[in-house]
Amino acid sequence: MFESIEDVIERFGGQSYVCSRGIATVVYLAAHLRKPILVEGPAGVGKTELAKVLAGALGHELIRLQCYEGLDEAKALYEWEYAKQLLYTQILKEKIGEVLEGAQGLREAVDRIAQQDDVFFSERFIVPRPLLRAISSSAPCVLLIDEIDKSDTEFEAFLLEVLSDFQVSVPELGTLKARHVPLVVLTSNNAREMSDALKRRCLHLYIDFPDREQERAIVALKVPGVGARLADEVVDAVQAIRKLDLKKLPSISETLDWTKALTLLNVESLDSALVHDTLSAILKYEGDIRRAQQELKEHVARVRAREAPAPAAVSNKDVLH
Amino acid sequence: MDAKIIEFASLLRENGIRVSLSESMDTFRALAIVGLGRREAVRAALRATLVKRAVDLPTFDILFELYFSGVGEIVKEAEAASMDALGTTPAEYQQLLEELERLLRERGIELSELARALLSGDTGGLERLLREAAGRAGVARIERTYQEGRYAEAMQEAMGTGDLARELEGIGQALAGEGEGTLRERQMARLVERKLRELQELIRRYVRGEVEKHDVSQRQAARMQTLAEKSFYYLSEDEIRRMKEAVTRLAERLKNALAMRRRSAKRGKFDVKDTLRKNLQYGGVPFKIRFDARRRVKPQVLVLCDVSDSVRNVSRFMLQFVYSLQDLYSKVRSFIFVSEIGEITRLFEENDIHQAIDQAIRGNVINVYAHSDFGRAFREFHRNHLAAVTRHTTVIILGDARNNYNLPHEWVLREIRQRAKQLIWLNPENRVTWGFGDSEMDRYLPYCDVVEECRNLNQLYRVVDRMVLT
Repeated sequence: MFESIEDVIERFGGQSYVCSRGIATVVYLAAHLRKPILVEGPAGVGKTELAKVLAGALGHELIRLQCYEGLDEAKALYEWEYAKQLLYTQILKEKIGEVLEGAQGLREAVDRIAQQDDVFFSERFIVPRPLLRAISSSAPCVLLIDEIDKSDTEFEAFLLEVLSDFQVSVPELGTLKARHVPLVVLTSNNAREMSDALKRRCLHLYIDFPDREQERAIVALKVPGVGARLADEVVDAVQAIRKLDLKKLPSISETLDWTKALTLLNVESLDSALVHDTLSAILKYEGDIRRAQQELKEHVARVRAREAPAPAAVSNKDVLH
Repeated sequence: MDAKIIEFASLLRENGIRVSLSESMDTFRALAIVGLGRREAVRAALRATLVKRAVDLPTFDILFELYFSGVGEIVKEAEAASMDALGTTPAEYQQLLEELERLLRERGIELSELARALLSGDTGGLERLLREAAGRAGVARIERTYQEGRYAEAMQEAMGTGDLARELEGIGQALAGEGEGTLRERQMARLVERKLRELQELIRRYVRGEVEKHDVSQRQAARMQTLAEKSFYYLSEDEIRRMKEAVTRLAERLKNALAMRRRSAKRGKFDVKDTLRKNLQYGGVPFKIRFDARRRVKPQVLVLCDVSDSVRNVSRFMLQFVYSLQDLYSKVRSFIFVSEIGEITRLFEENDIHQAIDQAIRGNVINVYAHSDFGRAFREFHRNHLAAVTRHTTVIILGDARNNYNLPHEWVLREIRQRAKQLIWLNPENRVTWGFGDSEMDRYLPYCDVVEECRNLNQLYRVVDRMVLT
């Protein structure tokens, strides 16, 4: 378990995840209060990644439940393996005959079969889905419930029950209680507002796009070969683009893609032609690209003007001579 | 600290953030874990436990600043102002304070509690005195800005500024009035004098902070209210920006209402074929019952927007609304017309909102300088685009129906009505002027399911409700 907030930052750093104090504090709290974290924020800021890194940092198994519309208990909790049960009964027909041998009347036959109930409704024939796996896991684990906003409200209510006492009752088997309360991370893209009851049980964490320093640190960490100058310029450019009113703002992963692409091209510093050609790595709409190109052209020009007024003057002179 | 947290929680509630009892309990447990040592950690802990909606975060941040840095910050700022006024560096200022203290001790001058806190730069003591005085003067009850003066006075009274003024005057005289008056002593006398003004400033700022705490949400609500009542005709750039904010919220509401409808219709009829097929793996024993998935009714909207001169400001806003609609739903087609009609669906899809609207009303799509001719535009729509109207389509027409005495061709509307799910007409003109002059509204009216006067946001809200719920 984490010893302090610094410890969280350090161990996350070990997993190549740059995390701010705010995030680290919430993670630290969640680990100690044993409360789920509800992570919100724009797409691509590392919400899902947070859970993966948390599992990695603690050395726990990560169990992931991806939510979608129409997700139900059978897909999230457990399901009986009917086909296997059928197959077994077919194979065991003779044995069943033995059990039933000499039974007087229907009632007795049914009673005898009923006595064998637990053979068929045992853990052998159950397919554990992520929630049951997290609860019955023998080692502590991290449970990631991804894109909870995509699920239906009925499922949310059901989840509420599971998250509050970490036990589920399977009618045929009885109540299963978690041996270790898993650390739960829920992520949401805010496609719909979550219920107050769910929010009350969670710690809320809003992750926004990283600021300049953080993003630079992320780029340096994830793209090892990148030159300091290129990294600075890319991050500056992306930060400038995020200020524009675009349909889809570039996320961290897109910054990384762009940096990787540029390093592949052996680029050391950005210029407007290059930006023009590679912008499609971070922007996905035609209109967005056009707007950003205009903005970036000015941005690059500004940077150049700030950087090199003196050499420019010298070269001008040369031309004049 | 406990009392402060509880007070802060109720402050959040007052400002429209829902904080339940269990959440404030969590806060205590969280603070016990992170400790009170670091401001950022405390802030993160409060944020994670008390605020559960991303939209509330800005309010939380403002309130946190106001509440937890309140007095300490103010005191620091007031000191900085004093340093400026005396023209000293912080180090010199500190030295001056120390010398003053020594001098006062040497001369055996007794100080009141308040004067000592003020003269020795004891922030904590000063904060406590300020809070006590504020409690006695009931400053927490303040609600409006215009009450500031009155409460500031009450607080000055409670602090005993009158006594302090006399006391400081006495000290000043004792320091400077002994004849020789070195430069140093004169400087100290000025410092003492200055301290009185510092306290008055502190009190004023304290009261101001109190008002702001209670006012954060009220101010926002008031702003939206005035905006909602305002007619589209008179919008400045800034207001258009804020209006966009409102439309986005409106569109959000549209989406929620729609999701509700979808959920209630989730289960369809028993599907025999699919049930048989799915249960073949169990030897035909129907373990799993299948229902046919109801087809989702995606809202299909078709908008015809008048962009002639008479309604230009309105259509600008209406186009913003259309743009938001198109952003949200995949099946929205939009047209603009004056006397010709042109489709702008692609234009809106590919451009950002300002560019798209600019291009639409600048005449890049159709000639916008012609005279309005609804009849001709409708006939052209009938000829070229009628196939786009199906029984799932909601057709919205935005326009004032001022036809310049041309043929109205209302039969087009009749046909659209027959094919479409519903036909909505939003008219920016006041209802009483419909049908007068060249307005053909009366002829078009019988073929519309909903006809609304729609000039401002409140009216638009009403229309949206109808559009989603029918």
